[in-house]
Amino acid sequence: MAEEYVVEMKGITKVYPNGIAANQNVDFSVRKGEIHALMGENGAGKSTLMKMLFGLEQPTSGEIRINGEKVNLSSPSVAISKGIGMVHQHFMLVPSLTVAENMVLGMVPKKSGLFIDFKKAVELTEEYSKKFNLYVDPNAKVMDIPVGMKQKVEILKALVRGAKILILDEPTAVLTTQETTELFKELINLKNQGYTLIFISHKLNEIMEITDRMTILRGGKSMGVHNTADVTPPEISRLMVGRDVVLKVQKEKAQPADEVLRVRDLEFVNEWGKKMLDKVSFSLRKGEILGIAGVEGNGQKELVDMLFHLNTPNAGTVTVNGESILGLSQRQIRSKGVSLVPEDRMIYGIAGAASIQENIISDRCGAKRLNKGPLFDMDAIREETDRLIRDYTVLCKSGAQRVDNLSGGNIQKVVVAREFSNDPCLIIADQPTRGIDVGATEFIRKKLVELSRAGVAVLLVSADLNEVMELSDSLIVMYGGHIAAYFEDTADLNDEIMGEYMLGLKQQTSEEVRRVCHE
Amino acid sequence: MSNKSLLKLSKRRDLIFTIVRSAAAIAIALLVAMLLIFVSADAGSVSAKLALTADALRQLLIGPLFKNSGAFSVKNFSDVLASMIPIMFTGLATCVMFSANQFNLGAEGGIMLGAFVSAMVAIYVPLPGVLLPVVAVLAAAASVAVMMLIPAVLKAKLGVSEMVNSLMLNYVVMYLIKYLMNSHLADKSKGQIMSYPFQPQSAIPQLIDNGSKLSWGFIIGLVFVVLTALFMYRTRWGYSIRMIGINQPFSMYSGMNVAGMVVLSQVLGGVLAGMGGGIEMLGRYTTFSWSALPGYGWTGITVAILAGNNPAFVPLAAFFMAYLDKGCSLMSTYCGVPSQLIDILQAVIFVFFAAEQFLSKYRQKLVVKAAQEELKQKAAAETAEGSVK
Repeated sequence: MAEEYVVEMKGITKVYPNGIAANQNVDFSVRKGEIHALMGENGAGKSTLMKMLFGLEQPTSGEIRINGEKVNLSSPSVAISKGIGMVHQHFMLVPSLTVAENMVLGMVPKKSGLFIDFKKAVELTEEYSKKFNLYVDPNAKVMDIPVGMKQKVEILKALVRGAKILILDEPTAVLTTQETTELFKELINLKNQGYTLIFISHKLNEIMEITDRMTILRGGKSMGVHNTADVTPPEISRLMVGRDVVLKVQKEKAQPADEVLRVRDLEFVNEWGKKMLDKVSFSLRKGEILGIAGVEGNGQKELVDMLFHLNTPNAGTVTVNGESILGLSQRQIRSKGVSLVPEDRMIYGIAGAASIQENIISDRCGAKRLNKGPLFDMDAIREETDRLIRDYTVLCKSGAQRVDNLSGGNIQKVVVAREFSNDPCLIIADQPTRGIDVGATEFIRKKLVELSRAGVAVLLVSADLNEVMELSDSLIVMYGGHIAAYFEDTADLNDEIMGEYMLGLKQQTSEEVRRVCHE
Repeated sequence: MSNKSLLKLSKRRDLIFTIVRSAAAIAIALLVAMLLIFVSADAGSVSAKLALTADALRQLLIGPLFKNSGAFSVKNFSDVLASMIPIMFTGLATCVMFSANQFNLGAEGGIMLGAFVSAMVAIYVPLPGVLLPVVAVLAAAASVAVMMLIPAVLKAKLGVSEMVNSLMLNYVVMYLIKYLMNSHLADKSKGQIMSYPFQPQSAIPQLIDNGSKLSWGFIIGLVFVVLTALFMYRTRWGYSIRMIGINQPFSMYSGMNVAGMVVLSQVLGGVLAGMGGGIEMLGRYTTFSWSALPGYGWTGITVAILAGNNPAFVPLAAFFMAYLDKGCSLMSTYCGVPSQLIDILQAVIFVFFAAEQFLSKYRQKLVVKAAQEELKQKAAAETAEGSVK
């Protein structure tokens, strides 16, 4: 046998209970010891395909072979027994347990058949940690360790369970540049030890850097297998979306006008007594996009929570157009013209079991134009929804379709359509394009620029460095709950400089940081 | 194929599935019932047992519609409709509360309190003609609305479980009523605990005067089905209540008054349950003699779950429950089958209805078939387009 395939999936078709055909006759084969990329926009069927390989979903038709043997992967435990491991995009760890305890979940070493042998768990963790050169602290609680280490725990967890084939679902989505570099070294190391890696991503540069071959999916169908060395990024992008994607955003120079949002000395101590916001002050003016960069967990989430009263600060002031918004209800905050594209769209952004229509009108259900006396004006609601579906190119059957039947990108478009269309003066966009496809990402970014140039103040919080640097007019870096740096112009910034501030290696003087208050 | 027709198709697919699933649940329940009746049948030989089982099943299935002679029985059928009245109201009440994800079980105590209050008004408040029953029912509704404020406000302000609270409240209400009846309000001239008779003008008029107690309350019930459905699906308040039920953080973030809606949903539930109690009392009785919880609230929960929390389906679910009830009581009257069997029967049906995964494989098959057809059509449309170009 010239080529040794460890994974062969042939003619895979998957139809979900909601009638969506996520995979249509897809072939997917991986050679032993390679890093194989699985690429495609959100909703292209990557996750579905991998869920079937990991036994989380069963194919409607088609066959799967592992090491040449036909298998029926009826559950993850079967898949694990066949040597398949999966590192999920959202970590499957128990935050309140230690790293070692998480490692042995479901396969706990016992002392005299009854008690958990913690020492052995720690030893096991250390042994694997050394063997694969993946450093983790076995005694630390998972909630206290950085994201990069959590990911290593996930990888080790799979390896401890005897995985020879590792599926990595967008492993770099939550990592910093430095952490990503480190991860790639470790992945190459695993590859050299004979492990097979399947790498799901839509970041082109990463794919080019680390993978040997790639399979591209588009609309549930395979667009073929390619050697990474033989294709160029524009070619890949064309195969993924069927057109050239402009990754650069065109925007005119900002003409900032009056101050809209004014935050002064904001402080917040979380329920475990950790200071998450430390005297944060900045101003945001009409017509500009202010980016907030930083490794996740450095206070960005808390800042957004304060601004939208999802939590209450310990000290400080926040005003919008001169009026304080602290302590106001979300309805009152919205009535001042503040919109929020929330970080977690499934929790705050949508009501999954409701229709697109019902999701669009959630913030305006009391508006005069949508009501006739005590009753809804159903025609007006339908009209408004259909207009927004058209304007924001939401791919759906109709406005009456359940919103959780849509793909991630289209769900986000529904959220954005609602938040952008209520005549806001301030838009807070928290990770607006996380985990969604290139097409939707491009659309949302363009919309943000368009709105800001039309006079809306935009606060852009994003862990995607390219995004904040590309979109923002000026930029704040947050580290450890305070502002580590302020850059008035993003044009001459690069990853290196940003990384140093993001990781706390550098800190601007308080005078430099104070410039963002525009006083 | 247009998007609209696709949506219709998927709706029809869902409908077919619902019908098949309901039929299967009922069939299985009947099978279990048959077995139980056969085993418990009071007869010697197997053939005699079989005959008894067959007869019992006949009573259960078509007894509520036909007399033993085979003629249509107006009396039996109006009995069924009459017993729908209270459970339609408790069903609606539960629909509204459950839609907001508020598992308030107070419809049971609510219907008793409503019945009691309307009875008191009917006895002691001197009002003329039509005014008296209207005032009595409104007073019942208002009193239960106030009662529901207790679990509702505690939930909204302090986060106390409304389920535990309302459940306990049922017994508080029942014993309070018993105490008032026993020590202050009972007609001492009677041999058992009952109130003085209602003023005659308090009665809700009957639709059919055949002793089945099918009153105008039935029509009022249907009107409230329509009103509640309109409220839940066509007004901003009903919409907010449903959204809170689906995703509370989302509703808060969207600017809805979550605490207000939590209270509103339960108060409305109280209004509906209270009205049900009042209407049942004035439509069926002439004195108040309830000494225990009537059970309509529990049945109302079953009705709401069968109706999928959609008020529009409440009459159907209530009819089903009432029909089953009547069938079972006929069965026990004519065939000596223990009436407790109804509980087992209802439980079996209920389990299969509530089990979401029941027949999900069949559903998947339907869906796959539809999706494949869709794809074929799409492909055909694309090639047609291509040939035009």
